[in-house]
Amino acid sequence: MSIINYASREIQFKIVYYGPALCGKTTNLNYIHQRINPLNRGDLVSLATATERTLFFDFLPLNAVVIKGFVTKFQLYTVPGQVIYNATRQLVLRSADGIVFVADSQWEKMEENVESWKNLCDNLVLQNMNIEDTPCVLEYNKRDLPNIAPVNYMEYVLNNRKRRLQSFEVISSTGQNVFATLNAVSQILLHKFSKQSEAPQGAPLPVAIPLEPPQSTQKLPA
Amino acid sequence: MNAIPVLTIEDVATLDGVLGDFLKKTEAELTVVIDRGGNVISQCGDMDMVDVTVIAALAAGSFAATRELARRIGEIEFNALYHQGNGNHMFMNSVDDETIMITVFGTRTTVGLVRFYSAATAQNVATVLKSLRSNTHGFSFDAKDISTAPVFVDHP
Repeated sequence: MSIINYASREIQFKIVYYGPALCGKTTNLNYIHQRINPLNRGDLVSLATATERTLFFDFLPLNAVVIKGFVTKFQLYTVPGQVIYNATRQLVLRSADGIVFVADSQWEKMEENVESWKNLCDNLVLQNMNIEDTPCVLEYNKRDLPNIAPVNYMEYVLNNRKRRLQSFEVISSTGQNVFATLNAVSQILLHKFSKQSEAPQGAPLPVAIPLEPPQSTQKLPA
Repeated sequence: MNAIPVLTIEDVATLDGVLGDFLKKTEAELTVVIDRGGNVISQCGDMDMVDVTVIAALAAGSFAATRELARRIGEIEFNALYHQGNGNHMFMNSVDDETIMITVFGTRTTVGLVRFYSAATAQNVATVLKSLRSNTHGFSFDAKDISTAPVFVDHP
């Protein structure tokens, strides 16, 4: 867990992008790094193989002023998605304050998505954390590809639980909804530490936040 | 309600004193105390020579990665790691189960001196942090103090 430094009035939060191999976690960070105001970010550090596969992790530090009187530092990490690197995923998850689970929307990747989600839940338990109490959003990535599963199906597979997570349709290669996803997880984790955190939060929309603005017929659940 | 542990102004002053004394004795350039998740807890010395946030993330990863090496020879972990460069070097030692201390130093001192003083410094740092973690009173915000505007903005 983060520590507040009251002398420098700084707070640090750690957000981890988690998901199966080649789902687009590093692409998310690359887009954020390219598009965010350079004054608000540090260097993007990638520990990757010669073929650009994440070997250890990617790391991007960001600064923001979102809490009155404090400088808030967000540290974005990705985990290596390949199955064999589970020990590395466990160490990157250590002290995580928020999680973005990146799922690959292609039909043939659905089994890997489910395996990766289970792996995330298992690894959180090893850190004495659980998915219910950890700020987390779902990102259905690669929505521009032709062979993708419908959002309702992805919701059924990955978000079928009593307390559903906020989810987003994303095209990380073009950046669509990349910032929306990051902002959502940031707000959820900030409010986790607010004095009114036990107040009921707005329920997630019935389907993922779409790429286009929501239709007027879409309603929040009662 | 969840609360974040607070490093008070007094805690920071105590840590600064401990780390400042360490730098004075060893003539090292920079020392940083981090948690094992890569968050910076305290820092002292020449901040301009490196990006401390990045160093913290990489050092936490490096320390964790070598745990596996340690296990292969029957150790739980290596208590200290030393990376030798041509002019600048890095020494990392374990403070407690949650914390690591990183020291960056150049040609003005030796690894032996850094190693010698880092042991006592780590103990002093551990004492401060132990009382911090045992303190049940954390900090939480007023929801109205959190900006409702998007935290991060996509600049075309």
